[in-house]
Amino acid sequence: MSSSASFRHSIRRGLSALFAASIPLYTGGWIGGHQSTFDAKGPVAASQLDLFYVTLWVTGIIFVLVAAVLAYATLKFKARNEADEHAEPPPQGHGNPLVELGLIGASVVALVFIAVPTLEAIWYTYDVPDDRRDQTYEVTAVGYQWWFKFEYPNEQIDGAGALVTANELVIPAGRPIRVNLRTIDVIHSFWVPKLAGKVDMIPNRGNHLWLQADEPGYFWGQCAEFCGQSHAVMRFRVIALNEADFAAWTANQKKDARAVETTASADAAPRAQFAGFRVNEAGWSPEFDANPLDNWVQKQFPEKSENPALIAEGRRLFVEKACAGCHNIRGHEGVGITGPDLTHMGSRTTIAAGLLENTTRNLYRWISEPHHVKPGNKMWVGGYTDRETGNRILELTSEDVSALVAYLESLK
Amino acid sequence: MDALVKSDFIGKEEHAGVEKRSWLFTRPTAKTGIVSWLTTVDHKRVGLLYGISSLFFFLVGGFEAILIRLQLAVPNNTLLTAQQYNEMFTMHGTTMIFLAVMPLSAAFFNYIMPLQIGARDVAFPRLNGFAFWIFLVGAIILNLGWFVKSGAPDVGWFGYAPLTSTAYSSQFAGDMSTDLWVMGLQVLGVSSIIGSLNFIVTIINLRAPGMTMMRLPVFTWMTLFTAFLIILSFPAITIALVALMMDRSFGTSFFEVSGGGLPILWQHLFWVFGHPEVYILILPAMGIISEILPTFSRKPLFGYPIVVFSGAAIGFLGFGVWSHHMFTTGMGTVATAAFAVATMAIAVPTGVKIFNWIGTLWGGHLMMRTPMMFSLGFVWLFMFGGFSGIMHSAAPADAQQQDSYFVVAHFHYVLIGGSIFALLAGIHYWFPLIFGRTVSEFWGKLSFWVIFVGFNVTFFPMHFLGLNGMPRRTFTYDGNMGWNNANMWATVGALILAVGISIYFAVMVYTYFKGQKSSRDPWDGRTLEWSIPNPPPEYNFAVTPTVHARDAFWYEKNNKEEIAREKAAKAKIDEAQGGVHMPSQSWFPIITASGMLIGGLFFTNHIMLGAIAGGVVVFFGAWMWALEGPGGYHVHPNESDDDSSQGHGPKH
Repeated sequence: MSSSASFRHSIRRGLSALFAASIPLYTGGWIGGHQSTFDAKGPVAASQLDLFYVTLWVTGIIFVLVAAVLAYATLKFKARNEADEHAEPPPQGHGNPLVELGLIGASVVALVFIAVPTLEAIWYTYDVPDDRRDQTYEVTAVGYQWWFKFEYPNEQIDGAGALVTANELVIPAGRPIRVNLRTIDVIHSFWVPKLAGKVDMIPNRGNHLWLQADEPGYFWGQCAEFCGQSHAVMRFRVIALNEADFAAWTANQKKDARAVETTASADAAPRAQFAGFRVNEAGWSPEFDANPLDNWVQKQFPEKSENPALIAEGRRLFVEKACAGCHNIRGHEGVGITGPDLTHMGSRTTIAAGLLENTTRNLYRWISEPHHVKPGNKMWVGGYTDRETGNRILELTSEDVSALVAYLESLK
Repeated sequence: MDALVKSDFIGKEEHAGVEKRSWLFTRPTAKTGIVSWLTTVDHKRVGLLYGISSLFFFLVGGFEAILIRLQLAVPNNTLLTAQQYNEMFTMHGTTMIFLAVMPLSAAFFNYIMPLQIGARDVAFPRLNGFAFWIFLVGAIILNLGWFVKSGAPDVGWFGYAPLTSTAYSSQFAGDMSTDLWVMGLQVLGVSSIIGSLNFIVTIINLRAPGMTMMRLPVFTWMTLFTAFLIILSFPAITIALVALMMDRSFGTSFFEVSGGGLPILWQHLFWVFGHPEVYILILPAMGIISEILPTFSRKPLFGYPIVVFSGAAIGFLGFGVWSHHMFTTGMGTVATAAFAVATMAIAVPTGVKIFNWIGTLWGGHLMMRTPMMFSLGFVWLFMFGGFSGIMHSAAPADAQQQDSYFVVAHFHYVLIGGSIFALLAGIHYWFPLIFGRTVSEFWGKLSFWVIFVGFNVTFFPMHFLGLNGMPRRTFTYDGNMGWNNANMWATVGALILAVGISIYFAVMVYTYFKGQKSSRDPWDGRTLEWSIPNPPPEYNFAVTPTVHARDAFWYEKNNKEEIAREKAAKAKIDEAQGGVHMPSQSWFPIITASGMLIGGLFFTNHIMLGAIAGGVVVFFGAWMWALEGPGGYHVHPNESDDDSSQGHGPKH
């Protein structure tokens, strides 16, 4: 990096530190949250934030100057009484070309202060810097109405192609990640505010972005382009792990879905039953948010109280109720590719595309009333009447749901 | 009305032909009642029709906004369903842009511009009426979805392909909400282009003697620029809409992904229209501000030529920055850099306007009346919106702001703090001229402060929401994202804003019926519209004015003898030419427009025979319109009494 560039960089750092220090003075804690761009956790988001501070300072200084003159003029030249208003009109001056030209020149100079770092950042944020290209890890994100599929082209599975997961993107920390952006239907946009600004997923167009998480962490992301009825609840997570944890995770993910021995446990856990969900029931909990990464780690291990019989029933229902037609469970009976891959679903912290924490209750709610959780989604559980026999088919009873929940939770 | 109304045709031939004309071509002559409004060609009446209907849709769009804010007041709210919410924000945006701000600007263009240039009417009076009636047709088609099973359009106001394709926007057979949106916008485009051509021809050709281009009032200049922006930008969206209509109705593949179409093409076409559209919404506002600030500072606009040229520069550059709406579409480095720098360049002429408005205040005698308050509010809020606009031009920073609430905050500062404040200022400013009554200063200022506070409480917190990662167009959010406070404040602010707007309009309605009668030229005005009695007579100017300077009426007031002599001489010439020539009313504008309503509705229902029938009505209307001839009659105004009350300055 040239000395002038590093000088500019340190100035920008200084300005952003100054701004950050003054935040509590006038915002009363309005800055922050899981998707706050003020809390950059990687170089791409940091460069975007630095640039934001440059624009904020330049426009802020101009604002103070112009506003001061405007306020002064308003107060100074205000008519104070009737007599003022009826006084002889002021001199009918038409302007001053020198003042005009001076101000135009000053505006152009101010804009150069913004333009230079903007151009720098456009090239920096567009793709992984050349000197780091060999460290780059590549993933492909595909948008669906209303969830995300993640493919790992570097993690090939014998006879099954690349590793595929859904809605939780696990990446190695400290390495540049190049994300290929694709979509299967309408335009979506991939946005993890703490790691990088958004880039759209556009049909018939191969977009990409790059990001990096400096430290291991758990990050919130969300679709940022209106994509239909349930756009608001199309969310996802990014989990950054250190190199060793990431290797362990990929090794486990490449395995087939976990099969539970029917003799593994004699004491059967009770059949989980829930009812009376509110349409607007929140899917998050303060306990989880307090330490999301540790909670993610917990999810990697099998549940303590498993009921093998119930899990077997769930596995049977997964085929019988046609879930397998859309969802893939590698090594089990699932074959579908139009819905999220569920091979290791039990090891994820969220369900319904990052909307609900992956708890027994939430899973039960998601399966029994998906249309309330995510209006317009394609998971049909209402059943229908067979024309020939007159029987209701593909309908889920509450017993069915609890068996399916047990089965899905076992998929670590 | 003190003028002698004499229905007559000019020219000898027409005189001879009067008796032979069939009933079909009998021109309506009603001066009051419903027929007089349906057949009107008077630019002032057309302006009022635009004004009333745009204010109605302004309230509709505002109601939609309140529902949006109530839904978002608390996390996981269920006041609206996802579907209803999506319809609400789509129609809020579409309504506010196409049915509220644009036609309200058109109302001022219609009413004020001809008066400012000393004209008797616009160049094509029947076409003017036609533009209004098809505006109404477009508005009806757009809003019809609320009343049928389809529901209102729900694809967002910029309707990105392929969400608008039949695969994604027709939840059930016969869902025509997107078809209504496509048809409604096309019809509105026709209306805007017709209106704009009319304004351009009027400004170029119908200026009073001596009204050179560089003496035009700035509002008239901005009318001219806006009209050019409309005729140059609307073809782009019309092409896009026609292509989309073909995709939806006839299975073509302009944007259809499965057929190899390019959804990104829609975005380019839309924003080639959409960015100039932003200036279509703001330039009239800047024109109004450039009238009000000099009047209430009692001195001319500072740097008139630079204000005019900066308006032209904004309009011109406005066509070269459309892709800054697309910084996140992966355009690549060079294209992104080019559009980023071009966008920054637009800040210069915009800044120049702000400097010149401050220069206008400097050294003046500022009269702090309600229009002045709204105008100063405009300057403050527009600065804010301008500065957040500069932030967006820094493309990498914009990658975080795009499609977040930061953008929502930005464009509401520009469109409410900018356009709406200026339009509210304009209504206050010209109310005494249009209705002859003065609005109470107390209630006017009260409404200003409530609107100003409500506006900022609503939209300032949205900057934080956006930077804290809240995407726009989301019907719900979780309570753990740190967005709860800002959303609650925004909703409280929206309710305050609603109270302010209610006060504003309640005062206007009260004043219309019971307000104090206004004196002539109540603000000590500087431009020609203040030289005539209020409310203005049908013929506008009893004697065609002769213009000697910029701020023509200010000059008249300061050179009364010269002007009186000139007017007496001019009156004789006018009378020798047969009096003041007025355009005749006509049924055919509204008949032709009704054909578009019939055709449009049948087409959106995919009943092509009906669509053809509508086309036949349009053809019939236009044909008869041509055969009916231009018409016209003469009046002989006698206004000698009114002249004595002219030019006494502010009187209250």
